[in-house]
Amino acid sequence: MPTYTLNINNKQHTVEADEDMPLLWALRDLLNLTGTKFGCGVSSCGACTVLMNNQATRSCQVPLQGAVGAKITTIEGLSQDGTHPVQKAWEKIGVPQCGYCQSGQIMNVVGLLKAHPKPTNEQIETMMAGNLCRCGTYQRIKQAIHLVIAETTGSPSGMRKTITTK
Amino acid sequence: MQAASSINRRNFLKTSGLAGGGLLLGFLLPNKSMAGPGTGEAPVLQPNAFLHIDTNGKITVFVARQEIGQGVHTSLPMIVAEELEADWKGINVEMMPYSTNPVPDYKPEGGSGLYDTGGSQSVFTDYTELRKVGATAKTLLLTAAANKWKVKPEQCYAENGFIINKSTKAKLSFGSLVADAATLPIPKDVALKPQKDFKIIGKAVSKYKVKEILTGKTTYGIDVKVPGMVYACVERCPVLDGKLTSFDDSACKQVSGFIKAVAFEGTGMPMHLHAGVAVVATTTWGALKARKLLKTTWNEGPNNKQSTDELFKTFAEKAKAKPTKDVYKKGDVTHTGASSHAAEYAEPFLAHGTMEPMNFTAHVKPGFCEIWGGLQMPGWAVQAIADNVGLKPEQVKTNLTLSGGGFGRRLYYDFALEAVLVAKQLDAPVKVVWDRTDDVRNDAYRPANYHSMQATWDAAGKLQTWQHHKLETSIEVMLEGPDTKSPPTMLGGGTSDFWYDVPNIYTGYTHVDFNLARGWVRAVEICENAYPIESFVDEVAHKLGKDPLQYRLSMLEGRAAFTTEDSRLHQDPARTANVLKIAADKVGYHLPRKPKHFIGLANHFFSFAEAYAAHAVEIEMTGPKKFKITNIVAVADCGTIINTDNTRNQIEGGTVFALSQALMSEITVTDSRVEQDGFFTYQILRMNDMPPIDVHLVPSTERPGGVGELALPTLAPALCNAIFAATGERVRRLPIGKDGWEWG
Ligand code: FES
Ligand code: FES
Repeated sequence: MPTYTLNINNKQHTVEADEDMPLLWALRDLLNLTGTKFGCGVSSCGACTVLMNNQATRSCQVPLQGAVGAKITTIEGLSQDGTHPVQKAWEKIGVPQCGYCQSGQIMNVVGLLKAHPKPTNEQIETMMAGNLCRCGTYQRIKQAIHLVIAETTGSPSGMRKTITTK
Repeated sequence: MQAASSINRRNFLKTSGLAGGGLLLGFLLPNKSMAGPGTGEAPVLQPNAFLHIDTNGKITVFVARQEIGQGVHTSLPMIVAEELEADWKGINVEMMPYSTNPVPDYKPEGGSGLYDTGGSQSVFTDYTELRKVGATAKTLLLTAAANKWKVKPEQCYAENGFIINKSTKAKLSFGSLVADAATLPIPKDVALKPQKDFKIIGKAVSKYKVKEILTGKTTYGIDVKVPGMVYACVERCPVLDGKLTSFDDSACKQVSGFIKAVAFEGTGMPMHLHAGVAVVATTTWGALKARKLLKTTWNEGPNNKQSTDELFKTFAEKAKAKPTKDVYKKGDVTHTGASSHAAEYAEPFLAHGTMEPMNFTAHVKPGFCEIWGGLQMPGWAVQAIADNVGLKPEQVKTNLTLSGGGFGRRLYYDFALEAVLVAKQLDAPVKVVWDRTDDVRNDAYRPANYHSMQATWDAAGKLQTWQHHKLETSIEVMLEGPDTKSPPTMLGGGTSDFWYDVPNIYTGYTHVDFNLARGWVRAVEICENAYPIESFVDEVAHKLGKDPLQYRLSMLEGRAAFTTEDSRLHQDPARTANVLKIAADKVGYHLPRKPKHFIGLANHFFSFAEAYAAHAVEIEMTGPKKFKITNIVAVADCGTIINTDNTRNQIEGGTVFALSQALMSEITVTDSRVEQDGFFTYQILRMNDMPPIDVHLVPSTERPGGVGELALPTLAPALCNAIFAATGERVRRLPIGKDGWEWG
């Protein structure tokens, strides 16, 4: 079996696996980084989202071969202690229910905000449409995204007023 | 073997829910502390299995109910902490380790056990007993302090983890009192706090260990790893109750890490496991890949040509005949009013679609069985697994985990038993992982159902008779066979729990058989029934030229509170009227509408766990069959609220779950095979379709009711009623996308 060296959360990891093994399964089964979740394996749910070179990427779609040389960040590497602004906003708004989709949601938002620091509502909806939450926390996810934007850019975002969760 | 009949949901509710706190009484509070000085261990105060305080003041609450996202690992400990007068920030919560006999005095009745989690029951059933748990420990600590100070216990009070002497203001920490408190006899009757003094209950409290979720540290069943473990994926017979003819795994051997393929037979009632071949490998990927190369042939049995198209034709045909089972009768429905109306409604099979696909880990050796995973009714599963491996339930080492969603899916144990069938044939522990297609195609689906409704009214427009014939692929027949004696699933307005005041009622049920597994999906029959009931009432109001809000209120207001014969729950129609009125107010029902804006309403009494909800949905028509949902108001009266933030989250999430079902979700079958294969075809709501939801909670001091399922039933009828208000077209079947409606 071939060996691959991967740069994950600023550390070099070596794994021995088939070249077509998706990054998702190497993270979960070989490297014990189980924060990245399996939801579908076919790009339909977003539970497996990680950052590759700062871009939100579905790890179930990236064969190991394609992950070599990239800077990979998983939920475990986003911050030491859950203090990344996106994690803090998630905590403040109280987004999670079962929590299973949330590492994928958070990583996708981090990627979204790297690409568009002040996204429009439409950009948010389009870029988050690939991340399913069966518990239905979408409204809180939106609120938390707007909170991050407000806190990191210091300006209120175009959040609709109708939402009165708190 | 535990009789399946004891497990059906209605019995589940009767034993765990409707017996109320009484069932738990006596077992939460044994006669003396479990450990104290003299046992050789450090003294701890453990008045019962639910609470543990050590000499450092560390407080641990053990929660027996399973956390599936509904928040019980926060709300139940909040109840204990409130009466204990503990500092919430210092509370540790642990899952109560699974045991077949966790508290010796506890005798589960009818299969409903201490660990069972469903029917929105946890807070409803455990509230008073958990308060007593906290209050008992507090009393012991107070007495220990009073003895120390040589004062009467009444001269002390507890606050924030300390006992305080009223006159001297001296303070002793809980921890410093543990050694003494543990030697005291457990008091029999303890006073509970007046609700006005609550400091924790009724507050917005963050989910316990939310940080672990946000940092990826939470361990769900699918994250379990045990030494020496291998991985398996299963190729299952596409048709339920089929058999394996042969398999060929020679091509699998090319895949690195492939270990072997093992076959197992399906099972009959209650779980109806599909026959399958498990492909075992050293990684999940190896198993997934090798499975693609596996060749199988199946004997699909005689029932391999069924389709949902045919099923709905059969429903429509049989709806013309009388129900095969009477469910509820009041008065005389042959009494005729001045005018009448009849209508039919249909709803499809639905899958649970938990984000964490089914999975389970098992290790079986001669005389040994250990299991890991998330289960909503572990007692039921463990009994079946023990029977299967020839052990006693207490010999099955059971490790329960958190679950990435439940929604009733994990009340069944098919996936757990399947992992055991695989593990029996291996030397190592094995984690069986379902991929999304497996999960969507091998669910225990909410039954397909069909409703024929009839009503008559007098000259003044007052309803005189109400008839509801429900046709369904029965869950009870699935679990217990065609001769089942269990009552059919009609709770949720389909029995004596019908919320409107109508003098003559008849409801009946007809089962139509179909070769697909059925089970309980979040709010089950309450959802199934509220859609036709709340649509039909709207139809009648329109026929009469009456305002749908006023018409509903005329049948709710002034109706006395009553005990429903069927569920034994207390129902107060004034509370139903109240949530409806709030929904109407908040959506702006009485204000002039914007052009092309229309509003629909629906309300219900939640027959699993005494609560009330209403939805008001406002839509804007953007084309002849196209609309945008501009506002959803959800109002909930669930009695005393434990955690306001979690309750809001549940009401929002329940509304979203129902929105998926109303708009887009559907399981269809041809040749006895489920056609959908994942989230592209079994659609659920995505962020881009998410309308704003405005949640209102009614403040209350009533008994806490259920929350997790409360917000589902009224969403679909409210939406369909808005569509009728806009177009004059009545939505006769769900999901509405099927009939060409578009949204967005
Ligand atoms: S697991 Fe990768 S998108 Fe679903
Ligand atoms: S929080 Fe459960 S799936 Fe999103």
